[in-house]
Amino acid sequence: MEVLLFGMIAEKAGTDRLQLNAASVAELRRSMSERIPGFEQMVHVIAIDRVIVTDDRPLLGHEEVAVLPPFAGG
Amino acid sequence: MNQEKKHKVKDIFVEGPIDPTFIATSVAKHATRMDIGAHEIFLGQVRADEHRTSNIDVRSVIAIEYTAYRDMALERMTAIREEAFTRWPSMTCLHVHHSLGVIPAGQLCFMVFASAPHRMAAREAVAWVVDRIKADLPIFGREVLSDSTHVWKVNRSVDPSGRPADR
Repeated sequence: MEVLLFGMIAEKAGTDRLQLNAASVAELRRSMSERIPGFEQMVHVIAIDRVIVTDDRPLLGHEEVAVLPPFAGG
Repeated sequence: MNQEKKHKVKDIFVEGPIDPTFIATSVAKHATRMDIGAHEIFLGQVRADEHRTSNIDVRSVIAIEYTAYRDMALERMTAIREEAFTRWPSMTCLHVHHSLGVIPAGQLCFMVFASAPHRMAAREAVAWVVDRIKADLPIFGREVLSDSTHVWKVNRSVDPSGRPADR
């Protein structure tokens, strides 16, 4: 699945899109750690279809997945 | 309630700084609305914060480059708008604009503009909407410093009520 990256996480990854396979949000986080150095230490939330979810959320593969660093609007 | 006012998804994002003359024009557009008695406007301006690693190493913010997860931000903004009109049913209209791209220090990057028959609804709604936007919208800010390095802006931690601490 395609994972959208933003802000400091995109900067660290060197790209704003990653292709990853994951069956759950927890698995997605593990794949992210393998691909992005220091990912575990980066504050973030995961959004599935534009809604923030927790680790136990299953992934079917066709969702819109995004990894979001802390918000800074305003 | 006016359904169009409530449910229409509006694009809040503008490329570059918000021009002060745009604000005057926005106010003028309401002159035909005879039910409005009060306007309340919040304007956010890019502040030249100092980043200090020692007494001699002081770098200041010369600009913020804003990016956003646009689709999610607009969905959340629509929900915030709907809740605002539920909380302040007398509110006549609500206009929100947020900049994307590089905004130099001293320029405007954020505008929340509410109108109502009386001032309290407009005033309370603007304060609430500003807090919600800062806490809930996936907008990211890269602070460009005077030595060409950068740091990532993070809105001060949000307290359990969802209210940003840097009010």
